[in-house]
Order: sequence, then structure tokens, then C-alpha cells
Amino acid sequence: MPAAAAIHVLIVDDQQSMRAVIRSSLQQLGFREFREAPDGEVGLREMITKPAHLVISDFNMPKLDGLGLLRAVRAHPPTQGAAFIMLTGRADRELVQRAVQFGVNNYLVKPFTVAQLKEKLEGVFGPLT
Amino acid sequence: MMSAEALATDRRIHVGQGEHHVTSDRSVMLTTILGSCVAMCLRDPDTGVGGMNHFLLPEGEGSGTDAGRRYGAYAMELLINDVLKAGARRDRLEAKLFGGGRMFASLKDVGLANADFAERFLRDEGIPVVGGSLRGPGWRRLHYWPATGRALQRAVTDNHVPLPASPSATVTDSGAVEIF
Repeated sequence: MPAAAAIHVLIVDDQQSMRAVIRSSLQQLGFREFREAPDGEVGLREMITKPAHLVISDFNMPKLDGLGLLRAVRAHPPTQGAAFIMLTGRADRELVQRAVQFGVNNYLVKPFTVAQLKEKLEGVFGPLT
Repeated sequence: MMSAEALATDRRIHVGQGEHHVTSDRSVMLTTILGSCVAMCLRDPDTGVGGMNHFLLPEGEGSGTDAGRRYGAYAMELLINDVLKAGARRDRLEAKLFGGGRMFASLKDVGLANADFAERFLRDEGIPVVGGSLRGPGWRRLHYWPATGRALQRAVTDNHVPLPASPSATVTDSGAVEIF
């Protein structure tokens, strides 16, 4: 049963407001270690510099989208073991199948509640403390 | 500033609550009717790509609550993503905000929460607000031409909730103001 506070999270989204929402939601669930990136390129650099245990990434982003980030993370041995949760809009459901092919651990449809986020996280990590 | 009416040749597209629309067609005029809801008009002045949304934070979920922010940020993201997909550049985006009116003096000011959220969102995202009209009493009808950025607001006096689908309703325009 992993402790949420011990899980290092990288939040990747091109909207500062959405990053703040994700961070706040994670804090309510006991997470304490965060880094943020405004697009997939910066997110990948962050992961290569210092791999996180968990990536929560938007799909629609400039430069490198969430799917591209996922593929790059899975292709790089030091980062390929990270858990990866993709955020999608309602219209992006068909992309989830592609994300699954590339090794996504779970996905979350926006707008989400804290309870939904918790459910997705526990689907990956098991019950969190 | 008083303004001329919309041109008869304009192609009108109504944006209802919870909807958004993006276009680069110079003949398109986006319209909506706002009470406590807020419409964000967003455009890239270089490409003429732009659009409008029409959102209302969930009841009881003001701008300061997590649930309100989660929903509001998503509503804004839908428009931003579609404007970018249509060819706009994020660093050139500019916005106008309308609505957030106080509709019933005796009830909680939902419009204020919507207006506060929209302003905070754009400030956080670094998108400049170049015009608009937020808060205040009553309904307003909004016309917006994304290609040029022109916006026309009319105060609407009506005892009933306006129904966009029935233009024959007893809705009275009480003067137009062009918003730059």
C-alpha cells in the first residue's frame, strides 16, 4: 500500500489553470511531491533529468502531445517504468485505445472529480495511504 | 459607443450554454444571450481565427471552489484547444469577457463567481483581456465577429428567461454598445 506522499508526480498540461487544478486535487489525496511542465517536450526533459514515479499528462498540447510524451517515456529505459495517466476530453475517447497500445496505465476524462482521480490512481497503485 | 446593426449578410451562429464555436470565416457572427453565464470571446488577430464559449460554473460551485475551478478550466480549455487547432497561436491570443450578471438580487450572486473565475483564469494563463463587459444587472445579448474581433452588446429587458430558439419572445433590446 504505497504512501501518496512518497510518489513523485510530474504534471504536464499547457494550461497553468489545469495544472493548478490537478495539483490541488492530488494534494487532497495526500500527494506532496510535484513538478510541472507546460508541454510534452519540457515534460520529457523533466523525466529524463529526474524520472518521476507518476506522469499525469494532458493529451492536447503543443510541440509534443500526450501520446508523443507517453511513447517517448516508454522508449527511454530510465523512465519506462513510470506510471502514466492520460487526461482526455470527452471527444478524445478513441485516442484512449491508441494510448493503451503505447502503454498508458489509466486515463481520466475531464472535467474530473477528486473521487474519480483517486479511483484512477488506485487502479494503478492500489489503495493509497 | 452606438453601433450599426449586424449586416444582413452575416451568417449567425448561436452559442448556447455549455457550447463553444470556432471559426475563421469573416462572414460569421457568433451570438449568445447571457444572464449570469459568461462568454469568453477569443481570437488570434493575425490569423483571424477565433471563437466564443458560453459557460456557467456548476450551481453552488463558485470560483473559489475546487469543483468550480475544475469545471471552469475545462470549459475554457475546450475553446482554447479548438482555436489553436484551427490555426491560432497561443502567444497571440486575446480575449473579451461578457456576462456574469446579477440576475436575482435576493439570491447568491452566481454571475459574480463566473466573472471572477473568467478573469482569474485569463490572468493565470497570461491571455490579455482587451475588452468586454462583466457583472452588472440583467440579461445581455452578445454579437461577436471573431475574424475582426468586433463585439456588440445589447442590454435585454425581459421578465422571462430568454429563449434563443424563439426570436418572437417578448424581448426588448434597450440599446447597443460596441465593445472594443
